[in-house]
Amino acid sequence: MIHSSSTVELADDLAADYAPHKRSFWRALVASPSGLIGLVVVAVLILAALLAPVIAPYDPLRMAAGPRLQPPSLNHLMGTDDFGRDVISRIIYGARLTLQIGVIAVGISLTAGLLLGLVAGYSSGWTERILMRLVDVLFSFTEIVIALACLAIFGVGLTNAMIAIGIASIPFYARVTHSVVLVEKGKPYFEAAVAAGAGHMRLIFLHLLPNVVPTLIVIGTLGVSTAILAAAGLSFLGLGAQPPQPEWGFMLSSSRDLISRAPWMMIFPGLAIAITVLGFNLLGDGIREALDPRQKER
Amino acid sequence: MGKFILQRLLAALVTIWIATIAVTILIHLVPGDPVRIMYGSFQTTPEELEAIRVRLGLDQPIWTQYLMYLERLVQGDLGRSIVGDQPVLDVLLTRFPATLALTVSSLFIAIVVGMSLGFLAAYKRGTWVDVGAMVLAIVGVSMPHFWLGLLLLFLFALQLQWLPVAGGDWRSLILPALTLGLANAAVLARLTRSAMIDIFDQDFIRTARAKGLPRSIVLYRHALRSGLVPVVSMLGLQFAYLMGGAIVIENVFAWNGVGRLAIEAVLSRDYPLIQGFILFFATVVALASVVIDIAYAFLDPRIRYS
Repeated sequence: MIHSSSTVELADDLAADYAPHKRSFWRALVASPSGLIGLVVVAVLILAALLAPVIAPYDPLRMAAGPRLQPPSLNHLMGTDDFGRDVISRIIYGARLTLQIGVIAVGISLTAGLLLGLVAGYSSGWTERILMRLVDVLFSFTEIVIALACLAIFGVGLTNAMIAIGIASIPFYARVTHSVVLVEKGKPYFEAAVAAGAGHMRLIFLHLLPNVVPTLIVIGTLGVSTAILAAAGLSFLGLGAQPPQPEWGFMLSSSRDLISRAPWMMIFPGLAIAITVLGFNLLGDGIREALDPRQKER
Repeated sequence: MGKFILQRLLAALVTIWIATIAVTILIHLVPGDPVRIMYGSFQTTPEELEAIRVRLGLDQPIWTQYLMYLERLVQGDLGRSIVGDQPVLDVLLTRFPATLALTVSSLFIAIVVGMSLGFLAAYKRGTWVDVGAMVLAIVGVSMPHFWLGLLLLFLFALQLQWLPVAGGDWRSLILPALTLGLANAAVLARLTRSAMIDIFDQDFIRTARAKGLPRSIVLYRHALRSGLVPVVSMLGLQFAYLMGGAIVIENVFAWNGVGRLAIEAVLSRDYPLIQGFILFFATVVALASVVIDIAYAFLDPRIRYS
């Protein structure tokens, strides 16, 4: 077969046309209420993480920064915990851990899931059938059980929990990628590229990958919230963050026995998790609407 | 229909089979010596550790171990737990009714609350009812389940003292079931809403309205029945989520189910119990999804006759 390089390039151009235009994307994102609120929440979280030493009134680990179990006051806006540590300072520093969790866990699951989904979707036949069957089975085990299995292997701790959550979500990302690849494979630009004689690598990385990316950005953003929730849950159970880390889920677990005496120890870390997760959920919804305006009507 | 059930059963068997392989491999992925990790905290001599290794079959090649595992499995033997030295299957079966009670009651709450909210939102689409329901749903999705649990505990058990903090009887089931149910209702509400919106836009609903059928008949007999189909198809997954969610919620409310057991097992590195739990969990979820798929087939004739 003669490979005319110009036809392959033409097909590449066609594929590029599917990519959304950058400027209108940002405008659409900010125009939707969920996108705007999500963006603000996430920006605040990132700022809190970066500027923690500047804005936190106390050292998050310093015991007896104030009297123990103080209710919220001007000195301690969110009160103090059972070691006399300042709760708001711990929450501000906790933003660092939370972001780290989101980035590492989603990084792992996104990369592995993307590769699996691309290979399965592109290859078709037995490879696809076996891979996707396996992914389905793992999916039905649920993420928490896979994460528990991983922690049973690696041992407990926050870093291990992040990795475990990353691994546990691979099946989900693989499934989404696979289904997007199947849709893209049926589109004219892809058939044109195949007809033009594009090689496997070119087809996978130049044609399929760019068209999977928009969906994965949405899924990945929503996935950050799932990862944060899961990590908080594991830390709450004593499998993730260990004392004295200022991790929000762990803070909630140490508030458990003091709920009636010091409800602020339970309310503020929980609010921090809920607002952060809500922010990433709204941002994910906003990005989806901005990428695909038809979604708006739903 | 018979063929459909057979197919689903076969798929469930494949899932369980893969789970048996996964749990056998699991113990080999542990970095270092699993026997030493498991028994490290006990006073054991190297000879005793070796004896344990032989008893667990860990001195054999992995495929021999797998066959031994399967052989014992068909006899209902999942090994003995390290902490407490009890048969793993017995421990799991004693704890399972509590988890099942929690999961089923929260599924019920999730369905009733989630579907009504989603249905209402779709019916009143674009109004403040819709917006309110969806804001509630996204807040519900974003809230950590265990935090919702702590809030409910604080409010109903500690402040108002309407319900016990823990216990084991049906009254102490209310708060955990409500927590898990409401948390999952949010997901179902979003799902039901989008399914119902698709249905309301379809021709047969317009026709039913146009020919002057009473609104209640159009809503319940036409719209709801077909709108339920995609939602029911998700219930198998919902059940799995609830079983997973129960692991965390059981720990919030000191509810003595298999989830609490699993966390204790991971913390104490009780590998036979961890392996048993994973296999047990996979089996329950696989069988439940067969049951739900069959229910789904009754609802959707396209599946029954295909």
